[in-house]
Amino acid sequence: MRRSLLLFFTPFILFTWIFLGISSKGCADFMQADAAKKLPFNHKSHMQLAAINGNCEVCHGYEENGRFLGIPTVGQCTSCHARDGVLNSNDPNVPRRKPMFDSYKDTDKPWTSWAKQPDLVYFSHKVVMTAQFEDGRKKARCGSCHGDKANSINGDMIKGKMLMGQCMDCHTALHISNKCAVCHD
Amino acid sequence: MIVKDSKMKRKWGMAIDLDKCTGCGACSLACNQENNMPIFEDDSDVPKRVAFLELMKVTNDRDAKFPDVKTAYLPKMCQQCEGNDTHGHKADPPCVSVCPAVATDVGDDGVVSQIWSRCIGCRYCQTACPYEARVFNWWKPEYEGTFKEGLNPEVSVASRGTIVKCTFCSHIWKRERDKAVAKGILDINAVTYTPACAAACPTGAIVFGDLNDPNSEISKLAKSDRAVRLVNAIDDQPEDKKKALMEKKQYPNPKVYYLTSQKWLRDMMRFKKNS
Repeated sequence: MRRSLLLFFTPFILFTWIFLGISSKGCADFMQADAAKKLPFNHKSHMQLAAINGNCEVCHGYEENGRFLGIPTVGQCTSCHARDGVLNSNDPNVPRRKPMFDSYKDTDKPWTSWAKQPDLVYFSHKVVMTAQFEDGRKKARCGSCHGDKANSINGDMIKGKMLMGQCMDCHTALHISNKCAVCHD
Repeated sequence: MIVKDSKMKRKWGMAIDLDKCTGCGACSLACNQENNMPIFEDDSDVPKRVAFLELMKVTNDRDAKFPDVKTAYLPKMCQQCEGNDTHGHKADPPCVSVCPAVATDVGDDGVVSQIWSRCIGCRYCQTACPYEARVFNWWKPEYEGTFKEGLNPEVSVASRGTIVKCTFCSHIWKRERDKAVAKGILDINAVTYTPACAAACPTGAIVFGDLNDPNSEISKLAKSDRAVRLVNAIDDQPEDKKKALMEKKQYPNPKVYYLTSQKWLRDMMRFKKNS
């Protein structure tokens, strides 16, 4: 009796397993979860360099009108890792030529962002990062929303979904207006 | 540079000079373009059409013969009401007090915001609005061909089944705020902007500015004799009667002023002052 029951359910179990496998692969393709694997990037080793010195804005900078540039292009990488540079060096502060950039153009962005705001959120990195307390400390740092990205050694997601409550918590604590129109349009 | 007092002191308002308005409809066109209005097969289908700013045609008499025919066009958008605080409640516009999902709210600058993702589509606010300024997305917004690539990236396209409305182009204010911060100006009250309709008006009939600033052009126009608001003659009653009417009725107290010196238009719209 027990054996026949198992035989009866086997096709369903198999079907479910295959379906889940296909859908998770599809989700990963859709989210471009493996995009980080195309070009490995180590935040931690870059942050210790003399040229960067813990300043995120060297790569993740702003445009002139205050728009956040987001993920850098390969052109920004090759401005240090020159395409005709040295391949090996003992000094860690000398950028080496990376052969993996040869297959990319300067305008390519081979990484995918984990942090994406919905379309109806008007969020300005420049405004949030400029805000200061009266004694000159910054009200927000990169890590307060993005997690400890500076110590990550690969492109994995280190902080989950960011909901509106997290924005509102900071706004309430820092006595900033919490009206809808401050961020939404 | 640190700004201690970052409270918003501005109160945006608009004045539309109907004596200057030619009814060309450039404001409506600019508004549609700025706010990613969808294209429908038949734009004369009023319940289906979605537009923030509409030109309301007003004529003196439907049966009038040639020399007596008079026509005016009222650019009619959300009037950004303030409401009045009857019975000690908080002053709310008619639409805000009925919203069950806090999807609409009055901002610090007095602009009534509408967040479509929070809207549940009950259309109470559309019913409560005295100006029919709110529109409901009955259908999914559709754009022909490559039109979608030319949409304004700062305005999100609302989904089907939500209310949308004019917000005085508050995304332009946010853009100007970002530009000011990038330049190092951290005072939020230093940021000024012009909505798309006011920028597009060829005769300069639409004036936009700060009502709290007594020296601005808008507050001078709002105090002039020609100024009227679409509040159905409550504004022009004597003070005691006005107060009684305001207590009794839901007084919207809008921030959009219409300027007209034409007697027939005042009669038609029941603005009795100066007539």
